Amino acid sequence: MPGVETIKSSWADEVELDYGGLPPTTETVENGQKYVTEYKYNKDDKKTKVVRTYKISKQVVPKTVAKRRTWTKFGDSKNDKPGPNSQTTMVSEEIIMQFLNSKEDEKANDPLLDPTKNIAKCRICNGEHWSVNCPYKGTAMDTNMMEKKASAAAAAAVDAPKSGKYVPPFLKDSQKGALGMRGRDDTAAIRISNLSESMTEADLEELVKKIGPQSKMYLARDKNTGLCKGFAYVHFKQRKDAAAAIEILNGHGYDHLILSVEWSKPQNN
Amino acid sequence: MRPLMLQGHERSITQIKYNREGDLLFSCSKDQKPNVWYSLNGERLGTYDGHQGAVWCLDVDWESRKLITGAGDMTAKIWDVEYGTVIASIPTKSSVRTSNFSFSGNQAAYSTDKAMGQSCELFLIDVRNADSSLSEQEPTLRIPMTESKITSMLWGPLDETIITGHDNGNIAIWDIRKGQKVVDSGTDHSAGINDMQLSKDGTMFVTASKDTTAKLFDSESLMCLKTYKTERPVNSAAISPIMDHVVLGGGQDAMEVTTTSTKAGKFDSRFFHLIYEEEFARLKGHFGPINSLAFHPDGKSYASGGEDGFVRVQTFDSTYFENIFE
Repeated sequence: MPGVETIKSSWADEVELDYGGLPPTTETVENGQKYVTEYKYNKDDKKTKVVRTYKISKQVVPKTVAKRRTWTKFGDSKNDKPGPNSQTTMVSEEIIMQFLNSKEDEKANDPLLDPTKNIAKCRICNGEHWSVNCPYKGTAMDTNMMEKKASAAAAAAVDAPKSGKYVPPFLKDSQKGALGMRGRDDTAAIRISNLSESMTEADLEELVKKIGPQSKMYLARDKNTGLCKGFAYVHFKQRKDAAAAIEILNGHGYDHLILSVEWSKPQNN
Repeated sequence: MRPLMLQGHERSITQIKYNREGDLLFSCSKDQKPNVWYSLNGERLGTYDGHQGAVWCLDVDWESRKLITGAGDMTAKIWDVEYGTVIASIPTKSSVRTSNFSFSGNQAAYSTDKAMGQSCELFLIDVRNADSSLSEQEPTLRIPMTESKITSMLWGPLDETIITGHDNGNIAIWDIRKGQKVVDSGTDHSAGINDMQLSKDGTMFVTASKDTTAKLFDSESLMCLKTYKTERPVNSAAISPIMDHVVLGGGQDAMEVTTTSTKAGKFDSRFFHLIYEEEFARLKGHFGPINSLAFHPDGKSYASGGEDGFVRVQTFDSTYFENIFE
Protein backbone atom coordinates (compact mmCIF):
# COMPACT_ATOMS: atom_id res chain seq x y z
CA MET A 1 0.00 0.00 0.00
CA PRO A 2 1.84 3.12 -1.14
CA GLY A 3 1.66 6.04 1.22
CA VAL A 4 0.34 9.40 0.20
CA GLU A 5 3.08 11.58 -1.14
CA THR A 6 4.09 14.54 0.94
CA ILE A 7 3.31 17.96 -0.40
CA LYS A 8 6.18 18.99 -2.60
CA SER A 9 6.70 22.55 -3.63
CA SER A 10 7.08 22.67 -7.37
CA TRP A 11 8.23 26.24 -7.10
CA ALA A 12 11.52 25.18 -5.56
CA ASP A 13 12.30 22.88 -8.44
CA GLU A 14 11.55 25.56 -10.97
CA VAL A 15 13.93 28.05 -9.40
CA GLU A 16 16.96 25.81 -9.67
CA LEU A 17 19.71 28.15 -10.75
CA ASP A 18 23.01 27.09 -12.25
CA TYR A 19 25.22 29.24 -10.10
CA GLY A 20 28.56 27.58 -9.79
CA GLY A 21 29.37 28.79 -6.32
CA LEU A 22 26.28 27.45 -4.58
CA PRO A 23 26.33 24.25 -2.55
CA PRO A 24 24.00 21.48 -3.74
CA THR A 25 20.54 20.93 -2.30
CA THR A 26 20.41 18.45 0.55
CA GLU A 27 17.58 16.45 2.04
CA THR A 28 17.44 14.93 5.50
CA VAL A 29 14.73 12.67 6.84
CA GLU A 30 14.44 12.01 10.55
CA ASN A 31 11.64 11.46 13.05
CA GLY A 32 8.87 11.83 10.52
CA GLN A 33 10.17 15.17 9.25
CA LYS A 34 11.94 15.99 6.03
CA TYR A 35 14.28 18.97 5.86
CA VAL A 36 15.14 20.35 2.44
CA THR A 37 18.06 22.77 2.45
CA GLU A 38 18.94 24.74 -0.63
CA TYR A 39 21.06 27.78 -1.46
CA LYS A 40 20.45 30.50 -3.99
CA TYR A 41 20.94 34.20 -4.69
CA ASN A 42 18.19 36.58 -3.68
CA LYS A 43 17.19 39.85 -5.31
CA ASP A 44 20.11 41.73 -3.78
CA ASP A 45 22.49 39.19 -5.28
CA LYS A 46 23.35 37.79 -1.86
CA LYS A 47 23.61 34.15 -0.93
CA THR A 48 20.60 32.89 0.95
CA LYS A 49 19.91 29.58 2.62
CA VAL A 50 16.35 28.26 2.52
CA VAL A 51 15.31 25.45 4.82
CA ARG A 52 11.92 23.83 4.30
CA THR A 53 10.39 21.45 6.77
CA TYR A 54 7.88 18.87 5.65
CA LYS A 55 5.81 16.54 7.75
CA ILE A 56 5.72 12.95 6.54
CA SER A 57 2.39 11.30 7.23
CA LYS A 58 1.13 7.85 6.42
CA GLN A 59 -2.46 7.36 5.36
CA VAL A 60 -4.35 4.13 4.77
CA VAL A 61 -6.73 4.49 1.87
CA PRO A 62 -8.75 2.11 -0.28
CA LYS A 63 -7.02 0.51 -3.22
CA THR A 64 -8.97 2.52 -5.75
CA VAL A 65 -7.99 5.76 -4.06
CA ALA A 66 -4.33 4.77 -4.07
CA LYS A 67 -4.58 3.90 -7.74
CA ARG A 68 -6.08 7.29 -8.50
CA ARG A 69 -3.11 8.96 -6.83
CA THR A 70 -0.92 7.62 -9.62
CA TRP A 71 -3.00 9.04 -12.46
CA THR A 72 -1.31 11.17 -15.08
CA LYS A 73 -2.25 14.81 -15.24
CA PHE A 74 -4.13 16.08 -18.26
CA GLY A 75 -5.62 19.20 -19.73
CA ASP A 76 -4.12 22.42 -18.45
CA SER A 77 -2.21 20.49 -15.80
CA LYS A 78 -0.44 18.22 -18.26
CA ASN A 79 2.93 19.84 -17.68
CA ASP A 80 2.60 20.13 -13.93
CA LYS A 81 5.13 18.38 -11.74
CA PRO A 82 4.05 16.04 -8.95
CA GLY A 83 2.58 17.93 -6.06
CA PRO A 84 0.44 21.03 -5.99
CA ASN A 85 1.11 23.77 -8.49
CA SER A 86 1.49 27.06 -6.68
CA GLN A 87 -0.48 28.81 -9.39
CA THR A 88 -3.64 26.80 -8.82
CA THR A 89 -3.33 25.74 -5.18
CA MET A 90 -2.74 28.17 -2.34
CA VAL A 91 -2.90 27.81 1.40
CA SER A 92 -5.11 30.58 2.70
CA GLU A 93 -4.79 32.28 6.05
CA GLU A 94 -6.21 30.72 9.15
CA ILE A 95 -9.97 31.10 9.49
CA ILE A 96 -11.43 30.57 12.93
CA MET A 97 -14.92 29.19 13.13
CA GLN A 98 -17.15 31.48 15.14
CA PHE A 99 -19.54 29.75 17.48
CA LEU A 100 -22.65 31.75 18.18
CA ASN A 101 -23.47 30.76 21.76
CA SER A 102 -21.23 33.44 23.26
CA LYS A 103 -22.55 36.03 20.84
CA GLU A 104 -26.10 35.57 22.05
CA ASP A 105 -24.98 36.05 25.65
CA GLU A 106 -23.35 39.35 24.78
CA LYS A 107 -26.52 40.60 23.14
CA ALA A 108 -28.53 39.98 26.30
CA ASN A 109 -26.18 42.17 28.33
CA ASP A 110 -26.47 45.14 26.01
CA PRO A 111 -28.50 47.79 27.89
CA LEU A 112 -29.63 49.48 24.70
CA LEU A 113 -31.49 46.36 23.67
CA ASP A 114 -33.07 45.86 27.07
CA PRO A 115 -36.52 47.45 26.86
CA THR A 116 -37.09 47.38 30.60
CA LYS A 117 -34.06 49.50 31.38
CA ASN A 118 -34.62 53.21 30.78
CA ILE A 119 -31.57 55.26 29.87
CA ALA A 120 -33.35 58.54 29.19
CA LYS A 121 -33.06 61.40 31.64
CA CYS A 122 -34.72 64.77 31.33
CA ARG A 123 -32.59 67.86 31.78
CA ILE A 124 -35.55 70.00 32.84
CA CYS A 125 -37.22 67.97 35.57
CA ASN A 126 -34.76 65.05 35.89
CA GLY A 127 -37.46 62.55 35.03
CA GLU A 128 -37.05 59.28 33.13
CA HIS A 129 -37.89 60.62 29.71
CA TRP A 130 -36.14 62.60 27.02
CA SER A 131 -35.92 66.33 27.40
CA VAL A 132 -37.79 66.90 24.17
CA ASN A 133 -40.72 64.92 25.59
CA CYS A 134 -40.79 66.75 28.93
CA PRO A 135 -44.31 67.79 29.91
CA TYR A 136 -42.85 70.75 31.76
CA LYS A 137 -40.95 72.03 28.75
CA GLY A 138 -41.80 75.68 28.05
CA THR A 139 -43.90 75.96 31.21
CA ALA A 140 -43.40 77.94 34.41
CA MET A 141 -41.07 75.34 35.88
CA ASP A 142 -38.80 75.62 32.90
CA THR A 143 -38.92 79.41 32.98
CA ASN A 144 -38.18 79.52 36.70
CA MET A 145 -34.90 77.70 36.20
CA MET A 146 -33.81 80.18 33.57
CA GLU A 147 -34.93 83.12 35.68
CA LYS A 148 -33.00 81.81 38.64
CA LYS A 149 -29.84 81.72 36.60
CA ALA A 150 -30.37 85.23 35.26
CA SER A 151 -31.04 86.74 38.67
CA ALA A 152 -28.06 84.95 40.19
CA ALA A 153 -25.83 86.23 37.43
CA ALA A 154 -27.11 89.76 37.86
CA ALA A 155 -26.60 89.60 41.61
CA ALA A 156 -23.07 88.33 41.21
CA ALA A 157 -22.24 91.14 38.84
CA VAL A 158 -23.77 93.79 41.07
CA ASP A 159 -21.87 92.62 44.13
CA ALA A 160 -18.48 93.18 42.60
CA PRO A 161 -18.38 96.99 42.35
CA LYS A 162 -20.14 97.54 45.67
CA SER A 163 -17.22 96.32 47.67
CA GLY A 164 -15.05 99.10 48.99
CA LYS A 165 -12.08 96.93 49.71
CA TYR A 166 -8.71 97.55 48.20
CA VAL A 167 -8.28 95.57 45.00
CA PRO A 168 -4.78 95.06 43.66
CA PRO A 169 -4.34 96.43 40.17
CA PHE A 170 -3.82 93.05 38.51
CA LEU A 171 -7.10 91.75 39.94
CA LYS A 172 -9.26 94.58 38.64
CA ASP A 173 -11.80 93.75 35.91
CA SER A 174 -10.18 95.98 33.38
CA GLN A 175 -6.91 94.09 33.67
CA LYS A 176 -8.39 90.60 33.73
CA GLY A 177 -8.82 90.51 29.98
CA ALA A 178 -5.11 90.83 29.37
CA LEU A 179 -4.33 87.91 31.64
CA GLY A 180 -7.04 85.85 30.01
CA MET A 181 -5.40 86.05 26.63
CA ARG A 182 -2.60 83.78 27.77
CA GLY A 183 -4.87 80.84 28.62
CA ARG A 184 -8.44 79.71 28.39
CA ASP A 185 -10.65 82.11 30.33
CA ASP A 186 -14.23 80.97 30.86
CA THR A 187 -15.20 83.52 33.48
CA ALA A 188 -16.66 86.00 30.98
CA ALA A 189 -17.98 83.52 28.44
CA ILE A 190 -21.65 83.13 27.64
CA ARG A 191 -23.55 80.57 25.63
CA ILE A 192 -26.34 81.66 23.30
CA SER A 193 -28.70 78.95 22.15
CA ASN A 194 -31.83 78.65 20.03
CA LEU A 195 -30.21 80.50 17.16
CA SER A 196 -31.65 80.09 13.69
CA GLU A 197 -29.96 78.08 10.99
CA SER A 198 -29.15 81.11 8.89
CA MET A 199 -27.11 82.73 11.66
CA THR A 200 -23.67 83.92 10.62
CA GLU A 201 -20.67 85.31 12.45
CA ALA A 202 -21.50 88.80 11.23
CA ASP A 203 -24.98 88.58 12.71
CA LEU A 204 -23.58 87.32 15.97
CA GLU A 205 -21.09 90.18 16.13
CA GLU A 206 -23.79 92.72 15.38
CA LEU A 207 -25.88 91.24 18.15
CA VAL A 208 -23.30 91.53 20.91
CA LYS A 209 -21.04 94.40 19.89
CA LYS A 210 -23.24 97.04 21.52
CA ILE A 211 -22.93 95.38 24.90
CA GLY A 212 -19.18 95.43 25.17
CA PRO A 213 -15.89 94.36 23.62
CA GLN A 214 -15.41 90.65 22.98
CA SER A 215 -12.19 88.66 22.83
CA LYS A 216 -13.50 85.61 20.98
CA MET A 217 -16.63 84.33 19.30
CA TYR A 218 -17.49 80.82 18.24
CA LEU A 219 -20.53 79.91 16.14
CA ALA A 220 -21.21 76.17 15.92
CA ARG A 221 -21.81 75.01 12.37
CA ASP A 222 -22.77 71.68 10.88
CA LYS A 223 -19.85 70.10 9.07
CA ASN A 224 -21.76 68.84 6.09
CA THR A 225 -24.31 71.56 5.46
CA GLY A 226 -22.48 74.59 6.87
CA LEU A 227 -25.62 75.83 8.61
CA CYS A 228 -25.71 77.03 12.17
CA LYS A 229 -26.23 74.31 14.74
CA GLY A 230 -28.22 76.66 16.94
CA PHE A 231 -25.73 77.69 19.62
CA ALA A 232 -22.72 79.96 19.96
CA TYR A 233 -20.17 81.03 22.55
CA VAL A 234 -19.04 84.61 23.10
CA HIS A 235 -16.07 85.56 25.29
CA PHE A 236 -16.24 89.11 26.61
CA LYS A 237 -13.28 91.04 27.91
CA GLN A 238 -15.08 92.02 31.10
CA ARG A 239 -17.35 89.93 33.21
CA LYS A 240 -19.87 92.71 33.74
CA ASP A 241 -20.41 92.92 30.00
CA ALA A 242 -21.16 89.20 29.95
CA ALA A 243 -23.67 89.61 32.78
CA ALA A 244 -25.28 92.50 30.94
CA ALA A 245 -25.49 90.42 27.78
CA ILE A 246 -27.26 87.65 29.64
CA GLU A 247 -29.75 90.10 31.08
CA ILE A 248 -30.41 91.84 27.79
CA LEU A 249 -30.46 88.95 25.33
CA ASN A 250 -32.08 86.16 27.32
CA GLY A 251 -35.64 85.91 26.08
CA HIS A 252 -34.90 88.39 23.33
CA GLY A 253 -36.53 87.74 19.99
CA TYR A 254 -34.14 87.40 17.07
CA ASP A 255 -34.95 86.10 13.59
CA HIS A 256 -38.34 84.76 14.75
CA LEU A 257 -36.76 82.76 17.56
CA ILE A 258 -36.46 83.44 21.29
CA LEU A 259 -32.84 83.41 22.36
CA SER A 260 -31.64 81.69 25.49
CA VAL A 261 -28.44 83.01 27.04
CA GLU A 262 -26.58 81.62 30.04
CA TRP A 263 -23.10 81.44 31.48
CA SER A 264 -20.81 79.06 29.67
CA LYS A 265 -20.07 75.93 31.68
CA PRO A 266 -16.63 74.35 31.85
CA GLN A 267 -16.02 71.53 29.40
CA ASN A 268 -15.16 68.83 31.90
CA ASN A 269 -18.44 69.19 33.76
CA MET B 1 -6.12 24.11 10.02
CA ARG B 2 -5.41 26.49 7.21
CA PRO B 3 -7.82 26.16 4.32
CA LEU B 4 -6.80 25.39 0.76
CA MET B 5 -7.69 27.92 -1.89
CA LEU B 6 -8.01 26.39 -5.35
CA GLN B 7 -7.76 28.78 -8.24
CA GLY B 8 -8.43 27.02 -11.50
CA HIS B 9 -11.40 28.95 -12.82
CA GLU B 10 -11.66 32.40 -14.29
CA ARG B 11 -15.34 32.94 -13.60
CA SER B 12 -17.77 32.17 -10.84
CA ILE B 13 -18.18 28.61 -9.66
CA THR B 14 -21.44 26.90 -10.49
CA GLN B 15 -21.08 23.51 -8.84
CA ILE B 16 -18.60 21.42 -6.87
CA LYS B 17 -18.86 17.75 -6.01
CA TYR B 18 -16.83 15.06 -4.33
CA ASN B 19 -16.64 11.53 -5.63
CA ARG B 20 -17.77 8.63 -3.48
CA GLU B 21 -14.53 8.14 -1.54
CA GLY B 22 -13.89 11.86 -1.33
CA ASP B 23 -10.37 11.88 -2.73
CA LEU B 24 -11.38 13.76 -5.89
CA LEU B 25 -13.14 17.10 -5.95
CA PHE B 26 -14.80 18.22 -9.17
CA SER B 27 -15.62 21.84 -9.88
CA CYS B 28 -17.21 23.63 -12.79
CA SER B 29 -17.81 27.29 -13.42
CA LYS B 30 -19.04 29.71 -16.02
CA ASP B 31 -15.85 29.29 -17.99
CA GLN B 32 -15.61 26.25 -20.20
CA LYS B 33 -13.33 23.88 -18.30
CA PRO B 34 -14.43 21.67 -15.44
CA ASN B 35 -11.57 20.88 -13.09
CA VAL B 36 -10.70 17.91 -10.94
CA TRP B 37 -8.57 18.19 -7.81
CA TYR B 38 -7.08 15.88 -5.24
CA SER B 39 -8.92 16.97 -2.13
CA LEU B 40 -6.13 15.98 0.25
CA ASN B 41 -3.59 18.58 -0.80
CA GLY B 42 -5.42 20.62 -3.40
CA GLU B 43 -3.35 19.35 -6.30
CA ARG B 44 -5.09 19.72 -9.66
CA LEU B 45 -5.32 16.53 -11.65
CA GLY B 46 -6.56 18.13 -14.82
CA THR B 47 -9.13 20.05 -16.79
CA TYR B 48 -11.81 18.69 -19.08
CA ASP B 49 -11.55 20.63 -22.33
CA GLY B 50 -14.28 20.50 -24.90
CA HIS B 51 -17.21 22.67 -23.88
CA GLN B 52 -17.85 26.01 -25.55
CA GLY B 53 -20.17 27.48 -22.97
CA ALA B 54 -20.69 27.95 -19.26
CA VAL B 55 -20.76 24.60 -17.51
CA TRP B 56 -23.80 24.57 -15.25
CA CYS B 57 -23.68 21.15 -13.62
CA LEU B 58 -21.60 18.04 -13.26
CA ASP B 59 -21.78 14.65 -11.61
CA VAL B 60 -19.49 11.66 -11.22
CA ASP B 61 -20.52 8.04 -11.00
CA TRP B 62 -19.80 5.83 -8.04
CA GLU B 63 -16.76 4.18 -9.58
CA SER B 64 -15.24 7.57 -10.48
CA ARG B 65 -14.86 6.47 -14.07
CA LYS B 66 -17.33 8.73 -15.84
CA LEU B 67 -18.15 12.38 -15.45
CA ILE B 68 -21.24 14.03 -16.90
CA THR B 69 -21.40 17.77 -17.46
CA GLY B 70 -24.11 20.04 -18.78
CA ALA B 71 -23.28 23.36 -20.35
CA GLY B 72 -24.67 26.43 -22.01
CA ASP B 73 -23.41 25.34 -25.42
CA MET B 74 -26.47 23.05 -25.57
CA THR B 75 -24.60 19.82 -25.01
CA ALA B 76 -24.28 17.31 -22.24
CA LYS B 77 -20.93 15.53 -22.31
CA ILE B 78 -19.72 12.33 -20.70
CA TRP B 79 -16.00 12.26 -19.96
CA ASP B 80 -13.41 9.77 -18.92
CA VAL B 81 -12.39 10.91 -15.46
CA GLU B 82 -8.87 9.52 -15.70
CA TYR B 83 -7.76 10.87 -19.06
CA GLY B 84 -10.01 13.86 -19.53
CA THR B 85 -11.33 12.75 -22.89
CA VAL B 86 -14.89 13.04 -24.17
CA ILE B 87 -16.69 9.72 -24.32
CA ALA B 88 -20.00 11.00 -25.63
CA SER B 89 -21.52 14.33 -26.50
CA ILE B 90 -25.30 14.65 -26.45
CA PRO B 91 -26.77 17.63 -28.30
CA THR B 92 -29.78 19.36 -26.79
CA LYS B 93 -32.01 22.20 -27.88
CA SER B 94 -31.22 24.53 -24.99
CA SER B 95 -28.80 24.78 -22.09
CA VAL B 96 -28.40 21.78 -19.85
CA ARG B 97 -29.01 22.98 -16.32
CA THR B 98 -28.92 19.76 -14.27
CA SER B 99 -27.34 16.37 -14.82
CA ASN B 100 -27.02 13.42 -12.47
CA PHE B 101 -25.85 9.85 -12.56
CA SER B 102 -28.02 7.26 -10.93
CA PHE B 103 -26.63 5.51 -7.90
CA SER B 104 -25.72 2.42 -9.89
CA GLY B 105 -24.18 4.48 -12.65
CA ASN B 106 -26.19 2.68 -15.32
CA GLN B 107 -28.41 5.64 -16.13
CA ALA B 108 -28.06 9.37 -16.22
CA ALA B 109 -30.66 12.11 -16.14
CA TYR B 110 -30.35 15.65 -17.35
CA SER B 111 -32.73 18.54 -17.89
CA THR B 112 -32.70 21.38 -20.35
CA ASP B 113 -33.48 25.03 -19.86
CA LYS B 114 -36.64 26.87 -20.74
CA ALA B 115 -35.05 29.22 -23.23
CA MET B 116 -34.97 30.15 -26.91
CA GLY B 117 -38.51 29.01 -27.45
CA GLN B 118 -37.83 25.57 -26.00
CA SER B 119 -39.64 24.25 -22.97
CA CYS B 120 -37.87 22.56 -20.10
CA GLU B 121 -37.53 18.81 -20.51
CA LEU B 122 -36.22 15.95 -18.43
CA PHE B 123 -34.22 13.27 -20.25
CA LEU B 124 -33.09 9.84 -19.18
CA ILE B 125 -30.31 7.97 -20.98
CA ASP B 126 -28.61 4.62 -20.59
CA VAL B 127 -24.87 5.09 -20.16
CA ARG B 128 -23.71 1.53 -19.66
CA ASN B 129 -22.22 1.35 -23.15
CA ALA B 130 -21.60 5.02 -23.62
CA ASP B 131 -19.66 5.90 -26.75
CA SER B 132 -19.86 8.40 -29.56
CA SER B 133 -23.04 6.82 -30.89
CA LEU B 134 -24.88 7.93 -27.77
CA SER B 135 -25.56 11.28 -29.42
CA GLU B 136 -27.77 9.63 -32.03
CA GLN B 137 -29.71 7.36 -29.72
CA GLU B 138 -33.10 8.28 -28.41
CA PRO B 139 -33.35 8.87 -24.66
CA THR B 140 -35.09 6.11 -22.77
CA LEU B 141 -37.43 8.61 -21.15
CA ARG B 142 -38.45 12.14 -22.00
CA ILE B 143 -40.76 14.23 -19.83
CA PRO B 144 -41.69 17.81 -20.75
CA MET B 145 -42.09 20.28 -17.91
CA THR B 146 -45.16 22.34 -18.57
CA GLU B 147 -45.36 24.32 -15.33
CA SER B 148 -41.91 25.44 -14.25
CA LYS B 149 -38.37 24.65 -15.26
CA ILE B 150 -36.10 22.34 -13.32
CA THR B 151 -33.38 24.09 -11.38
CA SER B 152 -32.15 21.17 -9.29
CA MET B 153 -32.37 17.41 -9.50
CA LEU B 154 -31.63 14.29 -7.48
CA TRP B 155 -32.06 10.57 -7.97
CA GLY B 156 -34.40 9.03 -5.45
CA PRO B 157 -33.89 5.83 -3.49
CA LEU B 158 -33.16 2.59 -5.36
CA ASP B 159 -32.96 4.47 -8.70
CA GLU B 160 -36.73 4.26 -9.02
CA THR B 161 -37.58 7.94 -8.86
CA ILE B 162 -36.15 11.33 -9.73
CA ILE B 163 -36.63 14.34 -7.45
CA THR B 164 -36.76 17.71 -9.17
CA GLY B 165 -36.70 21.20 -7.74
CA HIS B 166 -38.31 23.90 -9.82
CA ASP B 167 -38.08 27.60 -10.40
CA ASN B 168 -41.37 28.35 -8.69
CA GLY B 169 -40.35 26.63 -5.47
CA ASN B 170 -42.12 23.38 -6.21
CA ILE B 171 -40.56 19.96 -5.62
CA ALA B 172 -41.80 16.89 -7.47
CA ILE B 173 -41.00 13.18 -7.57
CA TRP B 174 -41.22 11.35 -10.89
CA ASP B 175 -41.62 7.63 -11.29
CA ILE B 176 -39.20 6.42 -13.94
CA ARG B 177 -41.17 3.40 -15.09
CA LYS B 178 -44.46 5.20 -15.46
CA GLY B 179 -42.90 8.44 -16.58
CA GLN B 180 -45.25 10.58 -14.53
CA LYS B 181 -45.31 12.67 -11.40
CA VAL B 182 -46.17 10.80 -8.24
CA VAL B 183 -45.59 13.28 -5.40
CA ASP B 184 -45.79 17.06 -5.31
CA SER B 185 -44.56 19.24 -2.47
CA GLY B 186 -47.14 21.99 -2.79
CA THR B 187 -46.12 25.38 -1.46
CA ASP B 188 -43.36 24.66 1.03
CA HIS B 189 -40.94 27.00 -0.70
CA SER B 190 -42.14 30.33 -2.02
CA ALA B 191 -39.24 30.98 -4.40
CA GLY B 192 -36.95 29.04 -6.70
CA ILE B 193 -34.94 26.05 -5.53
CA ASN B 194 -31.23 26.67 -5.99
CA ASP B 195 -29.76 23.39 -4.76
CA MET B 196 -30.77 20.02 -3.37
CA GLN B 197 -28.46 17.54 -1.68
CA LEU B 198 -29.14 14.15 -0.19
CA SER B 199 -28.18 12.96 3.23
CA LYS B 200 -25.70 10.14 3.48
CA ASP B 201 -28.31 7.39 3.64
CA GLY B 202 -30.53 9.04 1.05
CA THR B 203 -33.64 9.10 3.21
CA MET B 204 -33.87 12.87 3.26
CA PHE B 205 -32.52 15.83 1.36
CA VAL B 206 -31.95 19.48 2.07
CA THR B 207 -33.06 22.25 -0.29
CA ALA B 208 -31.63 25.74 -0.67
CA SER B 209 -34.05 28.36 -1.89
CA LYS B 210 -34.21 31.97 -2.93
CA ASP B 211 -36.82 32.60 -0.25
CA THR B 212 -33.93 32.76 2.29
CA THR B 213 -34.71 29.38 3.83
CA ALA B 214 -33.38 25.87 3.55
CA LYS B 215 -35.68 22.98 4.30
CA LEU B 216 -35.28 19.31 5.03
CA PHE B 217 -37.58 16.93 3.16
CA ASP B 218 -38.30 13.24 3.26
CA SER B 219 -37.15 11.58 0.06
CA GLU B 220 -40.28 9.49 -0.44
CA SER B 221 -43.20 11.54 0.82
CA LEU B 222 -41.76 15.06 0.37
CA MET B 223 -42.89 15.94 3.86
CA CYS B 224 -41.15 19.05 5.15
CA LEU B 225 -39.26 18.02 8.27
CA LYS B 226 -37.17 21.08 9.22
CA THR B 227 -36.71 24.70 8.19
CA TYR B 228 -33.47 26.68 8.52
CA LYS B 229 -34.04 30.42 8.30
CA THR B 230 -31.52 33.04 7.24
CA GLU B 231 -31.89 36.60 6.02
CA ARG B 232 -30.54 36.28 2.49
CA PRO B 233 -31.03 33.90 -0.45
CA VAL B 234 -29.53 30.46 0.10
CA ASN B 235 -27.60 29.21 -2.90
CA SER B 236 -26.48 25.85 -1.57
CA ALA B 237 -26.86 23.57 1.42
CA ALA B 238 -25.25 20.31 2.48
CA ILE B 239 -25.81 17.78 5.25
CA SER B 240 -22.89 16.50 7.27
CA PRO B 241 -22.32 12.75 6.90
CA ILE B 242 -21.25 12.23 10.51
CA MET B 243 -22.83 15.02 12.59
CA ASP B 244 -26.31 16.48 12.91
CA HIS B 245 -25.22 19.59 11.07
CA VAL B 246 -26.31 21.44 7.95
CA VAL B 247 -24.16 24.04 6.25
CA LEU B 248 -25.76 26.85 4.26
CA GLY B 249 -24.16 29.31 1.90
CA GLY B 250 -25.52 32.15 -0.12
CA GLY B 251 -25.55 35.86 -0.58
CA GLN B 252 -26.96 38.53 -2.78
CA ASP B 253 -27.24 38.35 -6.52
CA ALA B 254 -24.09 38.91 -8.46
CA MET B 255 -25.14 42.35 -9.61
CA GLU B 256 -25.26 43.59 -6.03
CA VAL B 257 -21.99 42.10 -4.86
CA THR B 258 -19.81 45.12 -5.51
CA THR B 259 -21.96 47.31 -3.30
CA THR B 260 -21.59 45.04 -0.29
CA SER B 261 -18.66 44.87 2.06
CA THR B 262 -17.33 41.53 3.19
CA LYS B 263 -17.51 42.86 6.73
CA ALA B 264 -21.28 42.81 6.46
CA GLY B 265 -20.91 39.15 7.28
CA LYS B 266 -23.29 37.89 4.64
CA PHE B 267 -20.77 35.75 2.76
CA ASP B 268 -20.20 33.28 5.56
CA SER B 269 -20.89 29.60 5.59
CA ARG B 270 -23.60 29.17 8.18
CA PHE B 271 -23.79 26.01 10.24
CA PHE B 272 -27.17 24.97 11.58
CA HIS B 273 -28.16 22.12 13.81
CA LEU B 274 -30.07 19.58 11.78
CA ILE B 275 -32.71 18.91 14.43
CA TYR B 276 -32.95 22.09 16.48
CA GLU B 277 -32.92 24.38 13.41
CA GLU B 278 -30.63 26.90 15.09
CA GLU B 279 -27.44 28.41 13.78
CA PHE B 280 -24.43 27.61 15.93
CA ALA B 281 -21.36 28.59 13.91
CA ARG B 282 -20.07 30.64 11.02
CA LEU B 283 -17.02 30.48 8.79
CA LYS B 284 -15.78 33.35 6.67
CA GLY B 285 -13.54 33.22 3.66
CA HIS B 286 -15.16 34.08 0.37
CA PHE B 287 -15.23 37.54 -1.17
CA GLY B 288 -18.57 36.97 -2.79
CA PRO B 289 -21.65 34.84 -2.50
CA ILE B 290 -21.19 31.12 -2.05
CA ASN B 291 -22.66 29.27 -4.99
CA SER B 292 -22.00 25.66 -4.10
CA LEU B 293 -21.18 23.66 -0.99
CA ALA B 294 -20.20 20.04 -0.51
CA PHE B 295 -19.24 18.00 2.51
CA HIS B 296 -16.37 15.59 2.23
CA PRO B 297 -17.75 12.05 2.55
CA ASP B 298 -15.76 11.53 5.75
CA GLY B 299 -17.32 14.65 7.24
CA LYS B 300 -14.04 16.15 8.42
CA SER B 301 -13.85 18.89 5.83
CA TYR B 302 -16.04 20.70 3.39
CA ALA B 303 -15.54 22.61 0.16
CA SER B 304 -17.24 25.78 -1.00
CA GLY B 305 -17.24 27.46 -4.38
CA GLY B 306 -18.02 31.12 -4.65
CA GLU B 307 -18.83 33.90 -7.03
CA ASP B 308 -15.20 34.98 -6.77
CA GLY B 309 -14.10 31.92 -8.75
CA PHE B 310 -12.27 30.25 -5.87
CA VAL B 311 -12.88 26.84 -4.38
CA ARG B 312 -12.03 26.68 -0.70
CA VAL B 313 -11.40 23.42 1.10
CA GLN B 314 -11.75 23.89 4.83
CA THR B 315 -10.75 21.19 7.28
CA PHE B 316 -12.55 21.37 10.59
CA ASP B 317 -10.68 21.90 13.82
CA SER B 318 -11.30 19.80 16.88
CA THR B 319 -13.46 22.58 18.32
CA TYR B 320 -16.06 21.84 15.66
CA PHE B 321 -16.42 18.25 16.82
CA GLU B 322 -16.21 19.09 20.52
CA ASN B 323 -18.80 21.84 20.36
CA ILE B 324 -21.88 20.71 22.24
CA PHE B 325 -25.08 22.32 21.11
CA GLU B 326 -26.66 24.06 24.10
